[in-house]
Amino acid sequence: MAVKTESNNGLAICRVDGEINISTSPDLKKTFDKLIAQKTPKIVIDLSKVTYVDSSGLATLVGILKNMRSYGGKMRLAGMSTKIKSLFEITKLDKLFEIMATEEEAIAGL
Amino acid sequence: MGKVPPKPQKSLDITAYPAYNTPTVEAKKISLKVPSEIKSIGKVSSEVLKSLSSCGIDEDKSLDIRLCTEEAVRNAIVHGNRSNKDLYVKVDYWVDKSRFYIEIEDEGAGFAPDRVPDPTGNSSILKESGRGVLLIKKLMDRVDFNEKGNRIRMEKALG
Repeated sequence: MAVKTESNNGLAICRVDGEINISTSPDLKKTFDKLIAQKTPKIVIDLSKVTYVDSSGLATLVGILKNMRSYGGKMRLAGMSTKIKSLFEITKLDKLFEIMATEEEAIAGL
Repeated sequence: MGKVPPKPQKSLDITAYPAYNTPTVEAKKISLKVPSEIKSIGKVSSEVLKSLSSCGIDEDKSLDIRLCTEEAVRNAIVHGNRSNKDLYVKVDYWVDKSRFYIEIEDEGAGFAPDRVPDPTGNSSILKESGRGVLLIKKLMDRVDFNEKGNRIRMEKALG
């Protein structure tokens, strides 16, 4: 799993590549801990290159959202596959997160 | 007239194997025993995926089975055996062209699956754990626990 982050004018776009699972979730959390420590106002997480997410991955994303909300930050998820979206639907996390089809849509109006 | 409350469901004792769709004679049983460490999760799912691949199972179903296997092995290691490396997780699985069956057993005290809080409720949705059993129940066709609650059996149609 790798994350490439591009920050500009208070918006961080994080493009995740690979699997978000019990082994990789701690590294993902560390990446976002830095952005959250800086109180980054807006974060878009592009999941279009994510091939697998387990319950640890879902939990990590929930943790990032909670931490962002604690200082009024906004976060959107983008580009997830139909398969991964189905996991959000099963767990009702699709109601908790703002999920957009593409990174461009996620950035627009954030 | 008020609604009649549903009867509490009793977990099935999966010791009685024929209670399930018994694997066909072609289904080969594969057994693994892994220590209670996180890297064991990937080891078990890799073996399962190899077997599914050799049977030509499609990627979508393989992903569901991988996820449920990893969630169940993780629960066995973390919650069942409390990550005690002296304790093991036993896995038996069968694959044939039409069905996949797996049993995962830990050496812990067991748990009551019907007492796991609903992770989709308003009070739980922001919790950072507790979604594994829900995913398993939704993605597999049949899921049961033994009476003690230290063994899960899952089944999924592959055809």
